[in-house]
Amino acid sequence: MSDLEQTLRETARRLLTEEQVDLVIGFGQGTLPLRTTPRFIRDPDQVDQLVWNLSCENNLSTYLKHTQGKVGIVAKGCDARSIVGEIVERQIPRENVVVIGVPCQGVIDRQAIEAELGEREVLEAQIAHGQVVLRGADFEEALAVREVLCDDCIVCHHKNPPLYDVLVGELAEDGGDVGEYPTVQKLESWSHDERWAYFSSEFSRCIRCYACREACPCCYCPECFVDQSQPSWIDRGDDLSDIIAFHLVRIYHVAGRCLDCGACARACPMHIDLRTLGRKLEKDVREMYEYESGMSLEATPPLSTFRQDDPQEFIK
Amino acid sequence: MSKWTISKSDVSGFLDELHKSYQVFAPLRREDILVLERVSDQDSVVLDFYNTKQAPKEVFFPRSEVLFSYRDGEVIPASLSDERRVVFGIRPCDARSSVLLDQVFDAADFQDPYYVNRRQNTLLIGLACNKPLSTCFCTTVGGGPFSTDGLDLLWTDLGDRYLVETITERGEVLTASSSLLRQATEEDTTAKAEIATAAEQMVSGPSTEGVKEKLDGMYEDPFWDEVHLKCLGCGVCTYLCPTCHCFDIVDEGRDGRGQRVRNWDTCQFSLFTHHTSGHNPRPTGKERMRQRMMHKFNYFVANFDDIACVGCGRCVRECPVNLDIRAVIESITQIGAG
Amino acid sequence: MMQNPYIPYPVDVRDIIVENEAKDIKTFELVFHDEKDRERFAFRCGQFAELSILGAGESPIGIASSPMETDHVQFTVKKMGVVTSALHNLEKGATMGVRGPYGNGFPMKRLEGSNIVIVAGGFAFTTLRSLTNYILHPDNRARFGNLTVIYGARSPGELIYKYDLAAWAEMEGIELHVTVDAGDDDWTGLVGYVPTVLKDVAPSADNAVAVVCGPPVMIRFSLPVLAELGFGADRIINSLEMRMKCGIGKCGRCNIGEKYVCKDGPVFTLEELRHLPQEY
Repeated sequence: MSDLEQTLRETARRLLTEEQVDLVIGFGQGTLPLRTTPRFIRDPDQVDQLVWNLSCENNLSTYLKHTQGKVGIVAKGCDARSIVGEIVERQIPRENVVVIGVPCQGVIDRQAIEAELGEREVLEAQIAHGQVVLRGADFEEALAVREVLCDDCIVCHHKNPPLYDVLVGELAEDGGDVGEYPTVQKLESWSHDERWAYFSSEFSRCIRCYACREACPCCYCPECFVDQSQPSWIDRGDDLSDIIAFHLVRIYHVAGRCLDCGACARACPMHIDLRTLGRKLEKDVREMYEYESGMSLEATPPLSTFRQDDPQEFIK
Repeated sequence: MSKWTISKSDVSGFLDELHKSYQVFAPLRREDILVLERVSDQDSVVLDFYNTKQAPKEVFFPRSEVLFSYRDGEVIPASLSDERRVVFGIRPCDARSSVLLDQVFDAADFQDPYYVNRRQNTLLIGLACNKPLSTCFCTTVGGGPFSTDGLDLLWTDLGDRYLVETITERGEVLTASSSLLRQATEEDTTAKAEIATAAEQMVSGPSTEGVKEKLDGMYEDPFWDEVHLKCLGCGVCTYLCPTCHCFDIVDEGRDGRGQRVRNWDTCQFSLFTHHTSGHNPRPTGKERMRQRMMHKFNYFVANFDDIACVGCGRCVRECPVNLDIRAVIESITQIGAG
Repeated sequence: MMQNPYIPYPVDVRDIIVENEAKDIKTFELVFHDEKDRERFAFRCGQFAELSILGAGESPIGIASSPMETDHVQFTVKKMGVVTSALHNLEKGATMGVRGPYGNGFPMKRLEGSNIVIVAGGFAFTTLRSLTNYILHPDNRARFGNLTVIYGARSPGELIYKYDLAAWAEMEGIELHVTVDAGDDDWTGLVGYVPTVLKDVAPSADNAVAVVCGPPVMIRFSLPVLAELGFGADRIINSLEMRMKCGIGKCGRCNIGEKYVCKDGPVFTLEELRHLPQEY
């Protein structure tokens, strides 16, 4: 157990015994290698279940849609930004959240490892000394951590939570430049036809499981537009145009609020590239409105704000 | 029933033979995902694999299908194809799921013609699991890596060749028509038996003994208050599951023309049981998780004497939050114990 | 060749009766296009059908007419959502679809030879009206004992089947009590909630079976009254509502525990309901 884990557990214990919160949401050991799983802890004696490592991939803030009472929540940089967003959008009052901020070193890209290993099943994984050692029934492979981290984590410039009540661990050094968007720049270099072909191919694998929607902290509508019947906006079959419509409309619904945490892409069982579109919109919002989602409790998302003196240059 | 062998170098020839009389569905790679799809000339069938991402239930119960189309008040039922099909390389767990789904779709009182027609026209050629995954638990839910439930043929990988065993009359007819099969020897069958024994021992999972009876008394148990908390309420587990069969029926179209369509649905969605009046008997994730577990391990058992789970492990591997059904079963059986 | 249970029988709307003052409950009288369909649709009291409007969808509705009325079938529908609104927009002569009959229906063998107490509230009266008309039919009456019907609505304008109520009031062989929660200037009948009237009427439980349908609050208060009168749980019959789609036990939506409301129900005795999870 690392020092960070120890501190995390002590913090959770303290928050619960002092009754600052009714519940702590964090990560516990998963049942598979390279997995952790969300843990909901009410009893201070159970805080030893909490872990912290490069497999803490879920954005736990999505659970704040459903919680009651005061909640302590473990948050990486992106997760904490999501929490700011949820507070700004009045999904949870500020006083009901105790943010246990943990500066993030990135999360492991399991889909990349799966692609690398092909049909070889990982039975054991150990992360130590900058390496991930993967063991199966008849193989052992050591990969540099940097090789298996999520690409977007490597260039992330918000590793430190912008909002926290308690900080666990040392502040991290942000990677990359603020304006760096390698995957989006590649997309922007393509012709319209190339983009259409790429996304048609990606979305053709969609099975409408809505894992992307449920994992996303911004998607909290009690009735999603997909489920409405009066009127019925899009059909629910496997027509590619309906599938693409769902994803495009969802991305636009979260535009200006999405901070590219990647929860959607990680949740998708069909490994669809869900991040590039979100990232593109995030870049556009930053460039057009000089706004970054989830950095300040005072700022409001530009697409949800209206002032009478808003310039309307783009539609004149 | 008879036993044959086919050399691995003859497998593509065998598939070519099949192509002459059947539409062939087999494991194929699409990007980095293994799917079960119709094989076209350009595709190369993958035989060195664990299992396809999605369950083959789609072959009988597509994710979306037209029940009928309509035009100016007239109903035109969707035609039922009489194309014969073969699913090649289906795992025993997935084949077993078709037997379970038959209980629902081919019931004594009502038969679903769309499903039944496909079932009758489809042969299943299974590939036994020499090396089950750590997430497989077929043996604890009535199946096994070499189970023949639902199969017409069972193939076993013996290294440089496959053992081919016929399970049904239809399978027998199929082998009779191929020129690439040799009679199996005692050596072949012994080799298979050894592999099968080893494979069975590799599978481990939570015991489901007595789980139905345990759940009988658990409807009000506080266990359900906690177990659902991390569930996102998406459809990954149910859509990838070989035995889940819930569906929705909707009309699509406008101006008097359209179709009535059947789409997969899931008891995990919040609006699944939502009444028009606004009342919802399963208003939170707690009721919905309870429904999923009860349906698979209690209600289906009460109605059909079978657990509605084949232990394929897809939900275990793919759940975005690692909500592990094996851990849930274990917790259920442990309640009150010790 | 097996029948395709998803294909509706085409029917014409021969008549539409607006049942209530609010005009949101209408009875549709339907005639089958094809005689064979009509024969296939032979139904029992308490069963339901999926009413189909192409382009809108389907809605499961209890059958309101008695099986003795052979040349048509009636459904009483409250306007609530997409399909029922589309239904309400239909005019006489329109064509629509019917799938069914589905469900277990009332246990007629149990009811024959018994005294019947029908307790109904509001719009849920429909299948009980079918049962009442069935029992009252000269061909059937002798097979049943005493028939007591207690029916109530929020106000006089909201009473449905007023024409049947008037006819029954003149008949022998039925003891009818019609009540409203609140009367108006013209109302001369009973005023009081259905459970209260039930308590006043105090039907004997001797060799009697009670059939109860109504809004949840009415049921909740009627059951203790029936229990006090001596009706055992296996002699109290309910018909449940549930969100449905296929109506034939395959889509997995309408289950209560191991029972599907569309197949094993919608009619359950109170005794059976007590063995099921309280998830409805």
